[in-house]
Amino acid sequence: MNNCKGKILIVDDEKGLRLGTKRLLEDEGYIVSAAENGTEGIQLGTNDEFDVAVIDLKMPDVDGLDVLKAIKQERPNTVCFIATAFASYDTAIQATRIGAFGYIPKPFSPEEFIYQIELGIKQRKLIIDAHRLEQEREKNLLELANEKSRLNAIIKSINEGVIVINTNGELAYFNYSAIKLLGTNNLQIGENVLEFLPKEISDIVKKIFLSDTIMLKSYSTELSLKSENEIFLEAACTPIPNPDGSLAGVVIILSNITEYKKIEIIKNQFVSMVAHELKTPLAAVQGFLNIIKDESINLPPEKQKEYINRSCQRLKSLTDLVNDLLDISRLELKTKHREIVDVDLAEIVNATIQMLELEIAKREIKVERNVMDNLPPIKADVNEITRVITNLLSNAIKYNKPNGMITIDLNFSKNYVILKVKDTGIGLKEEEKNKLFSEFYRAKNEKTRGISGTGLGLSIVKRIVDSYYGIIDVESEYGVGTTFTVKLPINPN
Amino acid sequence: MITDKIKKILLVDDDIDLLEQNKTLVESKGFNVITAESSEEGFEKFKKELPDAAIIDLIMEQMDSGFVLCYKIKKTEHGKKIPVFMLTSATYETGFKFSTTSKEEKEWIKCDGVLNKPVVIEDLIAKLENFVYQ
Repeated sequence: MNNCKGKILIVDDEKGLRLGTKRLLEDEGYIVSAAENGTEGIQLGTNDEFDVAVIDLKMPDVDGLDVLKAIKQERPNTVCFIATAFASYDTAIQATRIGAFGYIPKPFSPEEFIYQIELGIKQRKLIIDAHRLEQEREKNLLELANEKSRLNAIIKSINEGVIVINTNGELAYFNYSAIKLLGTNNLQIGENVLEFLPKEISDIVKKIFLSDTIMLKSYSTELSLKSENEIFLEAACTPIPNPDGSLAGVVIILSNITEYKKIEIIKNQFVSMVAHELKTPLAAVQGFLNIIKDESINLPPEKQKEYINRSCQRLKSLTDLVNDLLDISRLELKTKHREIVDVDLAEIVNATIQMLELEIAKREIKVERNVMDNLPPIKADVNEITRVITNLLSNAIKYNKPNGMITIDLNFSKNYVILKVKDTGIGLKEEEKNKLFSEFYRAKNEKTRGISGTGLGLSIVKRIVDSYYGIIDVESEYGVGTTFTVKLPINPN
Repeated sequence: MITDKIKKILLVDDDIDLLEQNKTLVESKGFNVITAESSEEGFEKFKKELPDAAIIDLIMEQMDSGFVLCYKIKKTEHGKKIPVFMLTSATYETGFKFSTTSKEEKEWIKCDGVLNKPVVIEDLIAKLENFVYQ
């Protein structure tokens, strides 16, 4: 009923007037209900929502004011008029107090009546609009409050510490992480915290305060705090501008970078070790060449030849070392392209033994192979698996005793192919076992002197085995021998 | 001549190539050389041969084995009388910050000087002369 001007209720015991006004209003486009007494008026007016109600003051059953009261109680937004021929100042005030919008004195002309109804409809619209606005406002306020508490909850729960300082250096906001990271309970909103914060941070904040222009970028610093454990923090300080562009304060974000620092330390140690390991063979070669070059040293020709041979050997081991380092780097960066095919471990073991034949013969070592029937192939890269087996076998030769024995077992379980390489070599001391797979670790004792190696072989083996989700294990008895067990998944996926 | 004062020098290094080189270098200047490939062997030869000087590689089997040998030698009566030098390639670029510039370090590390690798023989002789004619 979009073209309807409004819903009107007429309550009047006087039939002519009731029907007359009804017809008049219907002609104007209103929908009109009419009640012929007070009781019916209350019934209609409370059961249905009317825009406007015109209530006769004097009715035989119920007084017009009581009808008004009843309708207003149920339908507070219905605009009510009192119509009466017995107009008095007192009843007018009384009616207004109960909630009447206006007072229509009888008799009235049709124009006057329509005019009053139009006023009532306008009022009704205002009331409805006001009501809607009120509802919207409440809804918005609720959303705003929700948004605020949501933001608060987010900032409170993040791992980064958040501290906000105003231009007076007073604490305006902080979260729990800030307390945790700074290791303090002494943060108080409104207190000057510049002197309390670590100097590295307060220096930056002061610098931001002193600068003439606000640069909307962060200024970061790293600092270490010593409590029970040393922790490393990164503090990013960012100016907060006011709408007019002036400085409102500074927000400081604290991040715990201890783990990164630890990795950095490990990396630096690794670089140091690499540098040392590279320098040693270079120094040896340089030393030999210096002696050969030195005319003041009378070096017999056979010594010269020996020194050149020894230099060549050192250079070869340097090349091995560089190659091993490159392999580790490729494994770490995962840049090496893998060609996954069916790999028969027995085949690779045979090929590797053939390749190392010379060394095996030189040390008069006996090699025994036990391969289980129906050994399944594994899905892997041939070169990587060859690398694993070569490193294990060449260790078994190098660290074996002359006339020793190497036993290679290949069998399988439901999910793994299991390779065991057992030697009768010098064995490992208990404390050496744990360090065995770390870079540049070489068991150094009276028995290993003169055995060359880069110290990276087993570290590479472990990286490869790990990358296939395999397992490598070592059992050893010092002076008796060592057994390496490698379990490789038949299908890593 | 320094060789009149110092005749026999003990060289200890677990890198057999460097040991050979230093032996050749030191012998070329007229000294007698005894070599050892480990700190244990070094201490045995020191007690047996009673050398007039010792040059010990800092890092052998263990990080501090050179120091330990030096300390053991300096605790003996004979060790107190002779110059003991540590041989090291541990410089700043390898990350092992090592020097004997501070008083504390000198007191703790009982050696009489540090020689950098590779050994410059003139440097060694200058250090020996410095010790003997002090």
